[in-house]
Order: sequence, then C-alpha cells, then structure tokens
Amino acid sequence: MKAAAFAYERPTDLNTALALIAKADGTTKIIAGGQSLGPMLNLRLVEPDTIIDISGLAELKRAERDGDELVIGACVTHGDVEDGRIPDVTRGAMQRVASAIAYRAVRNRGTIGGSLSHADPAADWVSSLSGLGARITLRSAAGVRNLPIENFITGALESALQPGEIVEAVRVPVMTPSAHWGYVKACRKIGEFAHAIAAVLIDPERATARVVLGALETAPIVLSDASALFGGRVTGDFKQHFDARVADAILIKAGVANAVDRHIHVAVLRRAINEAAA
Amino acid sequence: MIGLTVNTRPVKASVEPRTHLADFLRDNLNLTGTHLGCEHGVCGACTLLLDDMPARSCITYAVACDGARVTTIEGLDNDEIATELRAAFTREHALQCGYCTPGMLIAARDIVLRLPTSDEHSVRVGMSGNLCRCTGYVGIVRAVRTVIDQRRERGITPIPGGGRQALGPAGSGNATNPVVSETTARAAAKTETPDQISVAMAIPNFTPAKVFEDQFTVAFPPAKVFDMLGDVAQVAACLPGTSLIGTPTPERVEGMIRVKLGPISANFRGAARIERVPEDLTGRIVGMGSDQRSRSSTQGEIRYRLVPIEQGAATRVELSIGYSLKGMLAQIARDGLVRDLAARLTADFARNLDRHLSGVPVDGAADGSQDLNGVSLLIGLLRRRVQETIRRIWGR
Amino acid sequence: MSHAESDPASETAPDTKQGVGARMLRKEDDRFMRGRGQYVADIRLAGLQDVAFVRSPLAHARIKAIHVPERYRDVVFTAADLDGIKPIRAVSGLPGFKISEQPILATGKVRHVGELVAMCVAPTRAEAEDIAASVTLDLEELPAIHDMLAARDPGAALVHEHWGDNVFLESSFEVDITKAFDAPIKVTRELSTARQCMSPLEGRGVIATFDHRLDQLTLYTGSQMPHIVRNGLSDCMGVDQGQIRIVSPDIGGGFGHKGILLPEEVCLSWLALRKGYVARWIEDRREHLIASANCREHHYKITVYADRDGRLRGIDCEATVDSGAYSSYPFSACLEAAQVASILPGPYVMPAYRCRTFSAATNKCPILPYRGVARTGVCFALEIMLDAVAVAAGIEPGEVRLRNLIQPDQMPFDNITKKHFDSGDYPEAMNRALAAIDIPSVRSRQRAKEPDGRLIGVGLSIYCEQAAHGTSVYAGWGIPMVPGHEQATARMTPDGGLELRVGVHSHGQGLETTLAQVAYEILGIETKLIRVVHGDTAMTPYSTGTWGSRSMVMAGGAVATACIEIAERAKKIGAKLLQLDPAIVTLRDGRVCGPNSSIALAEIAHTWYRRPQDLPADVDPAGLESTTGYKPQRDSGTFSYAAHAVTVAVDPDLGEVEILDYVIVEDGGVLVNPMIVDGQIYGGLAQGIGTALYEEMPFDSAGQPLATTLADYLLPGPAEVPEPRLDHMETPSPYTMFGVKGVGEGGAIAPPAAITNAVNDALRPLGVELLHSPISPRRIVEAMLAARDAERSAA
Repeated sequence: MKAAAFAYERPTDLNTALALIAKADGTTKIIAGGQSLGPMLNLRLVEPDTIIDISGLAELKRAERDGDELVIGACVTHGDVEDGRIPDVTRGAMQRVASAIAYRAVRNRGTIGGSLSHADPAADWVSSLSGLGARITLRSAAGVRNLPIENFITGALESALQPGEIVEAVRVPVMTPSAHWGYVKACRKIGEFAHAIAAVLIDPERATARVVLGALETAPIVLSDASALFGGRVTGDFKQHFDARVADAILIKAGVANAVDRHIHVAVLRRAINEAAA
Repeated sequence: MIGLTVNTRPVKASVEPRTHLADFLRDNLNLTGTHLGCEHGVCGACTLLLDDMPARSCITYAVACDGARVTTIEGLDNDEIATELRAAFTREHALQCGYCTPGMLIAARDIVLRLPTSDEHSVRVGMSGNLCRCTGYVGIVRAVRTVIDQRRERGITPIPGGGRQALGPAGSGNATNPVVSETTARAAAKTETPDQISVAMAIPNFTPAKVFEDQFTVAFPPAKVFDMLGDVAQVAACLPGTSLIGTPTPERVEGMIRVKLGPISANFRGAARIERVPEDLTGRIVGMGSDQRSRSSTQGEIRYRLVPIEQGAATRVELSIGYSLKGMLAQIARDGLVRDLAARLTADFARNLDRHLSGVPVDGAADGSQDLNGVSLLIGLLRRRVQETIRRIWGR
Repeated sequence: MSHAESDPASETAPDTKQGVGARMLRKEDDRFMRGRGQYVADIRLAGLQDVAFVRSPLAHARIKAIHVPERYRDVVFTAADLDGIKPIRAVSGLPGFKISEQPILATGKVRHVGELVAMCVAPTRAEAEDIAASVTLDLEELPAIHDMLAARDPGAALVHEHWGDNVFLESSFEVDITKAFDAPIKVTRELSTARQCMSPLEGRGVIATFDHRLDQLTLYTGSQMPHIVRNGLSDCMGVDQGQIRIVSPDIGGGFGHKGILLPEEVCLSWLALRKGYVARWIEDRREHLIASANCREHHYKITVYADRDGRLRGIDCEATVDSGAYSSYPFSACLEAAQVASILPGPYVMPAYRCRTFSAATNKCPILPYRGVARTGVCFALEIMLDAVAVAAGIEPGEVRLRNLIQPDQMPFDNITKKHFDSGDYPEAMNRALAAIDIPSVRSRQRAKEPDGRLIGVGLSIYCEQAAHGTSVYAGWGIPMVPGHEQATARMTPDGGLELRVGVHSHGQGLETTLAQVAYEILGIETKLIRVVHGDTAMTPYSTGTWGSRSMVMAGGAVATACIEIAERAKKIGAKLLQLDPAIVTLRDGRVCGPNSSIALAEIAHTWYRRPQDLPADVDPAGLESTTGYKPQRDSGTFSYAAHAVTVAVDPDLGEVEILDYVIVEDGGVLVNPMIVDGQIYGGLAQGIGTALYEEMPFDSAGQPLATTLADYLLPGPAEVPEPRLDHMETPSPYTMFGVKGVGEGGAIAPPAAITNAVNDALRPLGVELLHSPISPRRIVEAMLAARDAERSAA
C-alpha cells in the first residue's frame, strides 16, 4: 500500500518549526524518524494533508547533563542510546532498553520523542522512562512546560500534548549508585510489541521502590511508592518480600479483569524484580 | 527537488513527498535490488544503508533523506565485507529464493562491523529484523558468524555503533534548505474524497459480535433521566464529536461522529433507531454507520434500563452494549474489549449526562467541532480496537 | 554413471564434485546476492500502468451498487465490463462434488473479505490506490460463515445458495472399524490447526502486455506452474493457448501460494488484451494476508483404539477442512480433506480404519495446499493421538511408535488405504532419533527439575511424505490438472555447452544447480557450461509445474532421460568420427571413448553444428537436441520420511517455549545435492515451528480476518528458530531415476506435532494437554490456569 498524498514541510530551526506547528490544523502531522507514522501512512490509516519533518532540527538532536538530569533531545534515536552516543546516567539501563526496541534498522531512525508522542502503552520508553522517574519537556511557540512521563501519557495513544506543542526533550535523573533496576517485557518474538512490561527501580539504601506495570490496555500503572508490593518496607532482600497477591490486587483495581492477563503481568513483574535483585 | 548520493553517485530528482525511498530507488533509478516485502517495516527486505546505517527504506520517505548518502545492495559489489559475506552465504547455502537476501546482507554487514564476537545468540538477535521464509536461518547465521570470526582473527576490530557520530535519525539533517510547500501544490494529488452514499433507510436488528454490561449512576430521578435520554439532540451533545444531520425524530436520528484515535481519524456517518418503553423506563438504540475512507462499518446496540436509587432521587443506568465492527479498522485489530475501557467510557458519558442534567455546559458540543477524546460509547469501542492494532506495528 | 560416489569425509564441506550426490554450491546465488535477481516487480516495460483493486470489506454481502466517480469511469472496471470472461472453475469429478464459480470480479455477491470488486488503472500504484479509495460500495450485508463446523449445521447461511448446504465434498473410507471397538485402550480427542498464510517474502505479482507482432498476450507472473496458468487463462479468456505466453521470472518463494490461477491474472490479461494496457499489479502484504489464499485450517475428532501394549487396533476419525469460499484453479476445494482420509494412517500398520471428511465452504478466502499439504495437519492429529495412547498404555511414546511402524522387511508395502510405500526403514529412523535426543537423559533431567523452574519435555513425530505421485493417483480426482509424463529438453550448443529446458519452476529449490548436476552425471559436461531454462511457456516443454515435491523426481528424471538420449546420439556421431563401431564406444568424463582413442563432446557438437561436412553421409540425423518424456516405473509416488525429536523447556509463568534440541533423521532417498536437501529441511523446520508456535490468521464472527500485517501475523525470525541436528538415511526408491525421492515439503510436516508433544510432555504433571495449534504462550498459560483451577475445585 502506498501513502495518500501529503504536502511536506521541513523547517530548519526549532522556532520556525514551532511557528508552523502553531498554525497547523488537525490534518497536519509531525514526523521525526517516521518509524511509527510511516507504516500508518503506507496503510492509509492516517491521511494527513501536511507533514512537518522535524528530524533535521539540531536543537532536538543533542544530549547533555543539566544538574542531576540528562536532557535528551526528542530526535535522539533509540540507536543513539543503544550505541552510547549519549552520556549514560542510568548505569546502562536505558542502553539495554533501547537495544531491545523493534529492530536495529528501525532503531537507527526511530526517536525517543516520536515514541513518546505516539503514547503507545506498549512502547518501551513509555514504561521504562516512567520507571526511571523521567520528565518530559513540551514546547510550543507560547512556551515550555515539564511533566513527569506518567502524567504525560493519559491513555492508549493519548497524551497531554496540546495543539501547537511538541516534545522537545526528555529529562532523565541520574540513577543513584545504590539503585537496582529491572526491566522485563513479554513478547512472543524479538521485536514484537510487548504484551506486558514491568519496570522496577529499587533503592534499598533509601528504602524507595518505584514500579511500573505497562503494556496494559491503557496508560501504565506507575507506583512511585511501591513498598506495598514488598510487605510495606523496601529492604535489601526485597525480592524475598515480593507479594504477588498485592500486585494482582493492584491490577484488579486498575480494571484488568482477565485473570490470564493479570497472571502474565504479575509474572513479568516478578521477573523484573528478580532482575533488579540479581 | 531532492539531492542524494546513491551508491556514490550524486542524484537529483523531483519526487512526491509520499514516495518512500524504496520506491524512489526502484522506480526512478531502476535499482531493483531493494525489495519490498511488507511496506510496514517488519520484514526487512527493503533494508539499505542510509548514511552508512541500516534503515528501512519502505517507511522512510525519499524527501526526508535529502542530502543523505544511500547505499543499496547494488552499491556493495566491491565492498570488502559484502564480498566476504557473499562468499560465506553461498558456501553455507544461506539463500534460496533470494528475495530477502539483499536486505539480509545489509543487516549482516552491520552485524559483522559491530559485534565483537560471533556469539550465536547475539548474531541471531542482531539479525532478527530480517525475515527469511526459505532457509530457516541456519546458513545465514553460520555465514555471518564465520565472517565475524575470520575478520576478528585477522585482527580487524569491531566498530561500535558502526562508526556513526551524529545524533538523530540516520539520513536526517543533511539538507540545508528548508522545504515549505505551498498549500495549493498538494491539493491536486490529494486522495479523492469518496462520494457519500446514502444512509440506509431501514436499520436492521443484528447480533452483536461483542456484548458487555455496564452501569453508572446520576444524581437525578429516573423520570428526568428518561426524559433526557429521549431527547436525541441532548444525548448527542453528551457525545463529543457528534453532529446530527437533518432533524431527528424521537424514533430515528442520522448523523456523523468524528473520532480521533491517536493519529487516526475516522468519520462514521450513520443512523440510529430509538425505541423506548416508558412504563419500564427502558430503551434501546440500534445504530449503524460507516467510514467510507477506511471502508469500515459498525453496528451497535445500546439497551438501557433506569433503576431508581436513593429513594428515587437518583438513578442507576444499567447498560447492555453490543457492537460489531467490519472492514479495515476491524481487520487491523485483534479482539480485545476490556472491562476498564467500558468503565471509563461509561463514566465519561455519565459525567456528561450528569452535567447536562445539571445545566453545566458539556465539553463536546453537538456541532462536531470537538472531536478529541471521543467519548461515545460505540466509538470508544472502535477506538480500542484500533489502538490495539496500532501498537502492534508501530509501538516504537 | 561414475560420479555418484560421495566422499564421506567431505559430507559437510562443499566439494568440487558435480554429479548426483555432490554437495555443489549453487549456480544461481550470485545474481541474488548482488540484487540482480529479476522478480516480477523488477520488470520494466514502456507504458506500464499500475493496477489497484477495490476489495470487499465484508465477508458476505450482496452488491447493491458500485459508485465510481464520473471522472474515473474510464479507468475503473467492474464485472459489468468484463465481456466474454468466464469465472474460474476448479472442478472435480468426484461424486457429490459441488462446483464453485469464482468470479473474476465479484458479481452479485461477495463471499470473502478481500474479494475483487473493481480494478483501477493509473500511472502509479499510489494514484491507482487514490482512485480505488474514491470508489464506494453499496453492500447489503449477509450472515457470514466464519466457522467450518457451524458451516455444516443445517440452516446455516449459504455461501453458494444453489448448493443447499456448505459442503464442497463429503468423503469417507472404512475398513473393519467395528472390529476395533472392543480394544482395551480407547482415546478420543478433538484437535485443530489454525488457518495460516503461506507468506513467501515476495507476494504475487503480474504484468500483462500484448505483443502484436506475435499476436500474443505475454503475462509475467510469479507462478510455480506457468503451463497450468496458461490452461486456466485460456479457459477463462476464451483465447487460444497459442495466443498466450506465460513468463515466470525469479520468484521470492512459493510454498504453494504461487500454484494457482489468480483472478488478478485474468483481470490484467483482460486489460492488456481488450484495453491495450501494459498493466501491472503487485500484491502488497495486506492483500497477501487477507485476500488471495490461506492454508492449513483443519479440525479432527479422532478415536484411537489400541491394545494394552500400545499396538494400534484402529483409528476412527471425522475431519473437517475449512476450504474457504471457492475452489482455486487448478484445484483446491477438497484436496486437503479428501487427502486426510487416505493419509491419516501415516506410516503405521493397523487392521481397522474409518475416516469421514468434510470440505466446508466458508466466507473466507480459499485455502491452498501449503508445503506438506494435508500432511502437516494429519501428522499433528495422529502423532498427538499416539502420545495419548502411550500415556494410556503407560509406555514410552517412542516405543508405541516402534511397535506400530511399517517394518523394513514389509517393503514395498500397501497400507490400509492402499498407499504404496516404495522403500525405507522407518523404525531405524525412529531409533536413530531416539538415540540422538537421548530419552533417558531427558527423563532424568525431568526428575531432577530445572534450577530455573522451567519444565522440560521431549516430543516425537514421524511422518511419510508421498511425493511426485502421478497419473494413477490423480486420474480418479477428475480435476483440471493430472500429471502425466514429465518432459525435458536437452540441447547441446555448438561450443559444447548444454541447455536444459524444463516446465517446472525453480524458486529457491536450486534446480538451476541440481538439474545441471543430473545432466553432468549423464554427459560429463561441466556444470558451469550447463544452463537451465525454466519459467516460460514459450521456451519449455509442457509441465504441471512445481508442486508436491515432484520436481527433482520428475524433471530430474526427464533431464536424465533426455541427456541419455543425447549421449546415445553423441556416441553414434563420435563413433563415426573415431571410425569405430558405435557398440564399443562409451561416454566418460565428457568424452566419447573407444579402446584407444576418444573425442570430446564439445568437438562432436562443434562438428555437428559448424562442420557438418566432416560428418559421414549416413550419420543419424536426429542431432544433439532432444525432448523426452519420463515417468517413474510406478507413479504412485516416492515415500520419503523423517523422525523428528525435540526437547523443549516451558516457562510455567509465561508459557514461553524454548527449543533446546531438535533432531531430524531424514530419509529422502538418494540425494542429488545434500546441501540443498539440508536447506529444504532447515527451511521446512522453520515453517513448521511457525505453525507450531506462532502463525495464526484469526477471524471474528463476522468473517473479518484479524492478522493483516506482519506485526500481527508472526513469522519466526532468526532468534525463534534453532539449528537442528540432521541425520540422513538414503534408501533409494526402487522406481525412480537414481533412486531419488521428493523431499521439498517434509521439513514442515513434523514440527507442529513433535513440538506440541514435547510441550504436553513437559506440562503433563500439571494436567495440561494442548490440542490446538499454534500453541502460543497465551494458550499455554490459559491451559495451565484452567488445569490449576480444575485441580483446586476438585480438591
């Protein structure tokens, strides 16, 4: 299948782009690497009048430390993260996540900002960056705002992006040396979309546990204080204290009615916790 | 007009924005070694080198590669690694029909360049973006491993990241000139809007493919709620994205619902038949509609029953919702209605209903201007199915 | 024939030998590895226009109107435009068979999603799709039949109204079944295999153009059987066969998908013939998955009767195959179901048997015979039942098989359904597989439990693959295509080279190499000087084409026969030139040799073509070109077979299956090129793993196909397919040239059964038995949770 016709605009700087986007109507789409939008265009699931290509914007292709955060431009690719072309503040966690997104040829063009804009609950960055406690920077011609990732994703394919706004960057906090990270997804084959995702960031020294249950039918469940999963207290032997019944109850409360689905999500969570403990 | 370097030769051409790179190379330059197997980025047959990095040419538009360096299989005739790979591929019987082979060699070249060792698992994972239907991958994996081993034995060290320094999508950022299309330029080639066919006169009963139950409460007495549900225009106002066509009668309504599902939008045009039994405070709405663009159609049935609660001061609305979906939007999604969605949708409708009864303006006016966050029950179901699909391919 | 011996030391390394048995590297590889293969979509013709089709969005509906915008009236065509074109009729003379007429473009009704309704022509595919999007369909929906069992219910909606039911054909076979009823072991199961898509990496593709000089329509189409396409096209178009030339260039994989006449081929032929277009249609992946053809959807209700020692007393089966809406040309509708009845007994001996089969019409696209044809489903059903018998009898599954397999001293053997097994040692294959997989070590590992909590299982399956079966087998079907003698042309060129022309098609099987090996075996002409011409009705002898693992046996035999003829003629000419009695010369290493002198074939050819003045006047005038027909001594088919054994680890949390070890002991008769045979087995295994674990085309109750991209229809990738361990036996067929047997499909037959048996073996302690393929992680988790719940409620 071939895409329906569209007009193409390629601004060369961010301000021009924002001005264009501010004028855009509902039939305009923004493209970066095009690895999500491309298939949909080819299948004619999406038929925009105009596509604005932001992949050339240098402002969105940088990564630098800003205090305790790494600021990653929206057009940095999964491959850039995988290959270590950006600084590592997560002790390899992001690199491992990136290297398992789709396939190499896709990662060389797919971008972190594009993936988040798409707001797919099964996408790796949606859950993993929520797990890492990252924030997202949204910019429009009118200004800029920052949101925690979990507040940005509002549902399946739904985000807090307002008309005229684009994802400018992701701000990832530096992972503490004592933190334990686990990230597991259930796929039937490599590169397939995930049926369940779990991300855990546990720091026994600080007695904190952050847990994400993702690839649900809607936005991920983000537990910024997940101590309830570990008997109410996060300690060095958290793995032994993991209580699957609590996880199951959380899923029920979130509306996951199917017992098989819950079983799979809990099993994936257990694996992520085991990985974090290893 | 775009300029590219293809297999070291400069190329200038004018190309429609919708033309993907593979079609451009095949049709404009007759470089037919780049094959198309799926055109949605999964099979890997179209893989080529874009600024020396493997990329999918079927979901990369040629216009977006302005200024980039493109290397196709035809450009690797004298490439050292490709030459070694070809020898290994033929020795290990790593190809049969040959269709995946060009993309496979490009992907293999990248692996050979980057992987420190020939560890079998790493090679298999590294090659996982390229499907072969003939060989069972045995010869391919052997061939790639052999070439890695030979090169490492010769002291050739791996190149992490394939030597790329720049950030951002491979192939991007090479163009220096902005492109600003004139809005008139695209109109000529734009997809023809299908002629609308007339809405069916009769709305038949049907057996829904999916049925679920739900309920919500509103803080108004049953009689008032029942009256409100009898006012088609007001009900429509509780469904954002809805616009009515003509004047509804108490028994029948025609209209359009525009739904936006992430990047997808669909216009369902249709009609509904309304039945009400005042004695029981029950009712039934049977509707059907179709979106011509996606050749998708839907049928839905909502049965409701109003039960007085709180001594009749409030109402529990019990719903039985059934639907069927057909056409492209059905085909690209898997089964999967979830209870929490129904709960959310019902809650949204209930909130709007409650506001409406309270005289608070409802978000979604009936003029069709509001189409974000479609809250209509049936359309919400549709959204769900499409959402599930989209994530399957392009959740990246 | 001096080149047949192979050196065991070099069995895995490519060798420099060239004859039958040589592990020779492929002649065709280079063009593919340089992107210079030529597939249909790569062909460039002046004035080419692209076609996009308007397809039915509904599974079953009456067409009330097709609205074409005024401005496109000249470039959009519907059934009303196709004057004089007949529907596709793929009939059978079997009693009771009901005929489906497949319209070229839908008339009156649409019977499956994706059925062609209109065609749109434009300079590019994108523009053609724009036009297609502007065409609106006014359809009155009818109840859709999406379930083959429901299709058989009285009162079900009818796919073809005038039939009165939805059964293409009901067939049955019965021998003494009542005598089995008192058997002490009786196990009954219901099993099914999912609908699949064959999914070659290249889809279908067609270019049609009319050559006025030749007064001939040329159709470029990726077809496994170009001559059969010409037959069917001639019937539909009402055009003489001489006016049609079918060219099938390089093909990106067939597997059965490219073995039918497509309505699209007829459409484009019409555009070229009647409208003067040079028209092209290239199937996209969605079209492939939805519209043209699926495969494999079987349902079985089986009871197996056995004695306490596991010996089979009889099998009683009712099988249903979902045939889809139409019978595809040359024939598809009841091919699978009727074959089930004859092949279900597999390689086992049993005294009683009954099988009733139903070919059900549904509102889905037709199913075609896919690699292994009905055998994959049959093997799945039978081999899972054998494991159930083993459990009931309390003996090892391997032992149950050994007690029931045909024994080597019974060969040749006519089984209960009168299948004639030509040769082989099935127990030996099974024993080798059992030894290689090392059952005792798997059992002790199972007892020891895995440190990671996974469950280990071992599974077996064994099958026989009837291949290259001919006239006597197909004559009774009364179908449009019955294979007879296979012909090949061998033609020496004046410079001593050789051209071989065959009507079969090579699309991955490496026939350009293996047929050259056969010719080398006879003539001793270097394979680099031998070219194989195929895929063009204008240049090759008639053939039913490449299907049923027949090409090596049939075309190989034909090439050998033609080369023997050339050898005889060359010997006569050579003897004349050497001034010897033809009776005393021999052909060795490409030379005609007498006791003290010899002459090269190249020189004989040079003399024959270029210097006829040097030939004696009484030379045989037949020359160095021959088209000769070939049939094996018996045409009941070769029976190749293999025992598969696999160990798996199953994750009890997520239902993930990892294949730890996979052993295949294969007997494909004498192997012409072991490297290529290995490749066929590896590739077949990957497809079998797809069938077992990944591939499924689900439909909803409205007949909507639900896996319409490769993100939904999961094809196994490099990380999902392990490298198996192969062991070859080479029992020659007594009936064929060189003793070769057909081996192309076998790899895909056994894996679903073996893997499912292994998973069931692993999960048996949990009370789980999986009977429906693919055994996806979710199905496994569901079964495990259900078993756990059942156990809890029992406790």
